[in-house]
Amino acid sequence: MQALRKWSILSVVLALALVSPALAQQFNWQQAKGTQLRVLLNKHPWQAAIEPHLKEFETLTGVTLVTEVYPEDQFRAKVLVELASGASSIDVFMSMPAQEGLKYMRAGWLQPVDEFLKNPAVTAPDYNWKDFLEKTREAMVVEGKLVGPPIQVENTSLMYRKDVFQKYNVKVPTTLDELEAAAKALNGKAMTDDGQPGFGIVARGKRAAATSQFAAYLHAMGSTWIGPNREPMFNNEDGVKALELYGRLLRTYGPPGSENNHWYEASSIFSQGKAAMYTDANSLFPVIEDAQKSKVVGKVGYALFPRGPKGQYGSTVAAWGLAMPKSSKNQKAAWLFMQWATAKEQVLAVQSEKGVLGARESVWKDPKGLTKVPADLRESLTVGSKVGTPLWNPPVVAVAECRDAIGAAIVTSIQGGDVKVAANKAAADVKRIMAETEKK
Amino acid sequence: MSSGTGWSRFTDRHPVPVFTLPSVVVVAVLMVFPVLYTLYMSVHSWFASSLTSPEFVGLANFRRAFLDDERFRNALWLTVYFTGLATLLQLVLGVALALLLNRPFRGKGVVRSIFLLPMVATPVAIALVWMMMYNPTLGVMNYLVGLVGLGPYNWVSNAAIVVPALAVVDTWEWTPLITLITLAGLATLPLEPYESAVIDGASAAQMFWRITLPLLRPTIIVALLFRAIDCLKTFDIIYVMTQGGPGFASETLNVYTFQVGLFYFHIGYASSLLVILFALVLGVSLALIKVRRGSW
Repeated sequence: MQALRKWSILSVVLALALVSPALAQQFNWQQAKGTQLRVLLNKHPWQAAIEPHLKEFETLTGVTLVTEVYPEDQFRAKVLVELASGASSIDVFMSMPAQEGLKYMRAGWLQPVDEFLKNPAVTAPDYNWKDFLEKTREAMVVEGKLVGPPIQVENTSLMYRKDVFQKYNVKVPTTLDELEAAAKALNGKAMTDDGQPGFGIVARGKRAAATSQFAAYLHAMGSTWIGPNREPMFNNEDGVKALELYGRLLRTYGPPGSENNHWYEASSIFSQGKAAMYTDANSLFPVIEDAQKSKVVGKVGYALFPRGPKGQYGSTVAAWGLAMPKSSKNQKAAWLFMQWATAKEQVLAVQSEKGVLGARESVWKDPKGLTKVPADLRESLTVGSKVGTPLWNPPVVAVAECRDAIGAAIVTSIQGGDVKVAANKAAADVKRIMAETEKK
Repeated sequence: MSSGTGWSRFTDRHPVPVFTLPSVVVVAVLMVFPVLYTLYMSVHSWFASSLTSPEFVGLANFRRAFLDDERFRNALWLTVYFTGLATLLQLVLGVALALLLNRPFRGKGVVRSIFLLPMVATPVAIALVWMMMYNPTLGVMNYLVGLVGLGPYNWVSNAAIVVPALAVVDTWEWTPLITLITLAGLATLPLEPYESAVIDGASAAQMFWRITLPLLRPTIIVALLFRAIDCLKTFDIIYVMTQGGPGFASETLNVYTFQVGLFYFHIGYASSLLVILFALVLGVSLALIKVRRGSW
């Protein structure tokens, strides 16, 4: 019986292997030949990595690309203003659905791609949507509709000094309790090159910036931003516990002045060897492994974010993806571009050439996909992107405003203020902001 | 050809409107229109992502700011606090420096120029350097205050002292402006009152308080006016150093308005905040001008 099943699987695999090149050849990449696409890109490692390959797309499809690249703040403003004007000529743009997706979807600016993906006439048979890590696919869905494919993924994870943990014989934390115990045990211990003491832990503490990393603590503790009835939920008992833990860790075992630390300051402290642990996005690994600037190259482990008291996973799944506006007049060509840019070949290319963290499982299984990425990062990223949560931001329309309101509670917690009061105030603010910006 | 002569005849007859037209157009398009449009938007509610057009709400934005918006009241207070502290520090230090530099000594010109250097540096660069100096772990400020047995402080990360810490940066940069204006004032002071004071046996302190300071008053008020207006609308150093943090402890009106308008996209509400800031700046300016006229 077992043998029979093995044989039948093998024959299916063989059949697919024989058939799929034939199908791939049948797929008509030239079906939008002669179209011109306007593509707006954010200045980002993915953009830098894909740009040298864009010519290949033009040759394959006969579609001409006109790309524009802007730094992040200007990029977001540019896309927003163009879409709001109703007269946009954008065909494809980079987007983080958790940041702006709900706003854009409710405004009716996004063209969902579910129908394109299902349609064999416009989707190559070897595209294999299921190959994208489970939660990265979820991260691209807004109100049940698929915005587009993910191009880069990152998780809040635990970065730790392997050498320090070994030297002081401390177990790498897998739970929030162990995280606090490790921070306590290592705080003040010698850990820099010249034997100076360092901090137990470092993380962002700056108002809005901190919320996206605090999200991991919140979800591991068993709470979330907004409940099923669209009411703020982060101020429930577990949420307050998470806020208290975050504040206590940074106040007691973290660097002074954490309230003003963004990822830049936090990663500087960590890469100068002045902290034993750092919870932030694993996509920061190029900063930490930069031999020119970092003093901890090769000494850092990248672990899954610790689990909560009931075993909940906290790891967040943040994805940059491609999206197309409803107003685009070249949607078929836009879909061909989105598809090509996230086909296995291109994902493998950008990941192996520039260390861009891709969302395709097959690329993570390919040894070539690992050449620029620390080995244990693969483990934590592939697991984290299957079990984590795409809710690194509160799922609201006015994300920036709500992040500021919630960030204020994080700052209060770091400063040692009354967390419960601050959490309730933030919840009241978020409720008011939602009422103002989400009225139907 | 005929139109050319017609045009030149026209300019000959009406030189004033023709030659001022370009600047009038520039002012109208770049200054008058935005101010009027801001006033128009300030009585509307418009969240830039909704597809609806701006909705007229009367004075609701202003009512909300003064009655319901804690962040606004905090920002208003911080704006006044920062401005008061920074201008006071600059005034005292600036006048003192001017008196010092007004005495004859060798290399006076060079020393004067050096004192003016902070003013010509780029504010963002200054802010970044002070950011490093204020760093609690690696910065030089904690070392310096440690020498006299104080600290360590968290400086701009400590909600209680972030505003004074920022005022120090502004003071470092702009004290020279007060010095410069005061020096100009000192150069125009008449000698006679001093001569008669010396004959009457007045002390140096008496001469300073009774003669120099009253005579300098109009000059000092002009300097104060410049600095007060500038401090009320300070943005660069605060945004670069704290972005209004920690929490909202250094979020002045300008920084808050920037957030509301360009990050939250509440264009109507941001406009009404700008109108309030405009009124504040105008009010302070008028008050200072009145004080100056009263004493003239």
